[in-house]
Amino acid sequence: MNCAECRDNLVACAEGLLDREALLECQAHLEACAGCRAEYKVIASLQQRLTKCGEAAAEVSIVAPVMRRVLLEHEEKETIMSRLFKYRWGFGLSAAAGTAAIILIAFLVFPKAQATAAEVMTKGAQAVAKLTSIHLRGQVRSAPADNFGSINPDSEFYAIELWKQFEPDLKWRVEKPGLVVVMDGQSTVIFNKSRNVANKRPQPSSSAFDTDWLHRIANLGNTISNELNNAQIKGWKLDTTEETAANGRMKSIVTIHAKSDIPENDYVKNSFFDNADTRRVYRFDAQTKLLEAVQVYLVRPSGEVLIFEFSQIDYNQPIEPSVWQLELPADVIWIQEPPKLPDNEKYASMTAEQAARAFLEACAREDWNEAGKFMSPITDRMKEGLGGLEIVSLGESFTSKAYGGRFVPYEIKLPSQEFNVRVSNTNSAKRYVITGIYSTNLQLIQDLKWTNAPEVLPNNDAYAKLSPAQVVTACMNAWIKFDWDEMRKFDPAYDVEDNIAQVKEAEKNGMDVHIIFPVVQVGEAFWSPEQSAWFVKCRAVQTKKWNMAIRKDNPAGRWQVDGGM
Amino acid sequence: MDLTDKEYVEHCRDGHPEDFGLLVERYQKPLFSYLASRVGDGQQAEEAAQESFVRAFLSLKKLRKPESFYSWLLGIAGRVAKEQFRAVAHRQRDREAAETMMTDATDSGKEYPLEEAIAALPESHRQVILLRYYERLSCQEVATRLGLPLGTVTKTLSRAYALLRQELAAREGAEPTVNQTQQL
Repeated sequence: MNCAECRDNLVACAEGLLDREALLECQAHLEACAGCRAEYKVIASLQQRLTKCGEAAAEVSIVAPVMRRVLLEHEEKETIMSRLFKYRWGFGLSAAAGTAAIILIAFLVFPKAQATAAEVMTKGAQAVAKLTSIHLRGQVRSAPADNFGSINPDSEFYAIELWKQFEPDLKWRVEKPGLVVVMDGQSTVIFNKSRNVANKRPQPSSSAFDTDWLHRIANLGNTISNELNNAQIKGWKLDTTEETAANGRMKSIVTIHAKSDIPENDYVKNSFFDNADTRRVYRFDAQTKLLEAVQVYLVRPSGEVLIFEFSQIDYNQPIEPSVWQLELPADVIWIQEPPKLPDNEKYASMTAEQAARAFLEACAREDWNEAGKFMSPITDRMKEGLGGLEIVSLGESFTSKAYGGRFVPYEIKLPSQEFNVRVSNTNSAKRYVITGIYSTNLQLIQDLKWTNAPEVLPNNDAYAKLSPAQVVTACMNAWIKFDWDEMRKFDPAYDVEDNIAQVKEAEKNGMDVHIIFPVVQVGEAFWSPEQSAWFVKCRAVQTKKWNMAIRKDNPAGRWQVDGGM
Repeated sequence: MDLTDKEYVEHCRDGHPEDFGLLVERYQKPLFSYLASRVGDGQQAEEAAQESFVRAFLSLKKLRKPESFYSWLLGIAGRVAKEQFRAVAHRQRDREAAETMMTDATDSGKEYPLEEAIAALPESHRQVILLRYYERLSCQEVATRLGLPLGTVTKTLSRAYALLRQELAAREGAEPTVNQTQQL
């Protein structure tokens, strides 16, 4: 090997790409030639420097936070542009040309199967090329008043709907049972029904308040380019299958295996649609090419869970004008940016942990003026829930790739409530059952008369042997586990039904019932000669251990409690 | 086949802001590395990188040469880094200390930032360097990703090394500047 040949091979040599024979020749030349050896060292040194830079940046992943800000900025600009230039929404000629280009790019960039997926999706967009409106109906696993983007695989399904009018003016509405947002062409208003709070952006918007991912599905032309772009840059897998439906019609099914760029151990991973690893299934009618359904599965190591689906999609149907109206209660509380305080600097200089402590301490002494400096609005329900709390512990704050603020771990104890439970075994089953709730001085709070006598259970003897305190303990355990069948053995059926309704209501209002329901500590039983009955002392204790979301990216630069309470 | 910076920039300008994500994906790591060498702190570098991308997006219409997106981005990042230092100085009420910090960080090792030299490479060469070192792909993986023969990738790397060496030799020891900053 001469010098010229050696230098041609230096990079391949440094990269370990030479076969054995060429490598030996190259090494032999390097040993013999000081000039080539020096050249090799320079290359190796440069490689080391490059490797070091690359390694230092290996964990960097800022696409999601940057794009959130970018799209937000774009949305505001687009809104202004739409007013000035009468921007036409929907799929016009340029959009059709754009989708054709996407097919071409897909064929160039992707393997055949993925290009086929792109083609099916593109034809789906072309099938509704003159889209004037779209109405999507489906369901999502997340609490009814929780953010539109949030998902919870353990939640029940709740209805979700999106109406969107593209022409003559853009208008849209997204609704869950506890949360609704309406863009009526002039402004965008979100209303949280359970908290009775609302927020308004005084301008139209193409998406807002965490609805972006739903709009990405509704805007079919963009859905294709978004999914293909992601598939290209993130290496997501796309595939297409065909199947015959029950009515004999052929369906084309495009599946996208989406991987979030949020690290596995991130606190919010898989809590929001955009932070989750998902399998997205788009179902098109092979004849009409129309998109008929969308399903999204959360993909976890433990398996897949269906978390969202649009099962009914109506195209170009007239939408009632009332859809664009949002009736708000007269006493609705409007969310406002925190104002600068006279002593703003005192608050602005706090750490996240200091702000969290100051907020909880204000709640503890029920100083709602002070607490309001950290959270606004503080509703009456929050005052009832947090007033008089006791701080058990506060941890060190941490961040998430997907959140602009910090999370502060906390544990608080809410004021306990003492009461007595009356039990009686003067029934045909001869076992103790609950007959009433009383105050500590034995004033009746709730009478729990049995309309029908407690039934004789198949294993009645075992229950008949339970003491008053054991019966109350068993009932409370069943309650906390939502084991309603077990609870019916101790508590009248109508009260159990009331409890079921309360739990459902709480879930509808966006509450995590497992966190908000108190733990009842059961104490000793005592006989009351005045009442001629057995009573069991009880104390309801609610401890809450969670992470407070807190952020300070507001004009006042003060930490504001954003969630997790 | 990845599109060029110019094509992505033009897509963004034509009302496809989602394409900006592809530019972020392409340059997030070298930009972070560049900023880390200037500010000396990972968290600050990441914040500055995010801010730089957002500012770049907002000013995209002012970029006269879309093919020079990366050099232009480095110019923005340089200014963001300086602002970050000023903010630190303001908070610490000790501007002098912060200026010293910045000088120390930017002069560390007196090595010209590699990322600026990379920015001066032709785009096809830059793409190979970024994939090989910042995306940490093997040469074979780079070849597959770009749809090129392996030999073309090694030759491109070889040429890129030579150009980088020329650029570094010409600049190392000189005060680091970014030529394209005046485009804003």
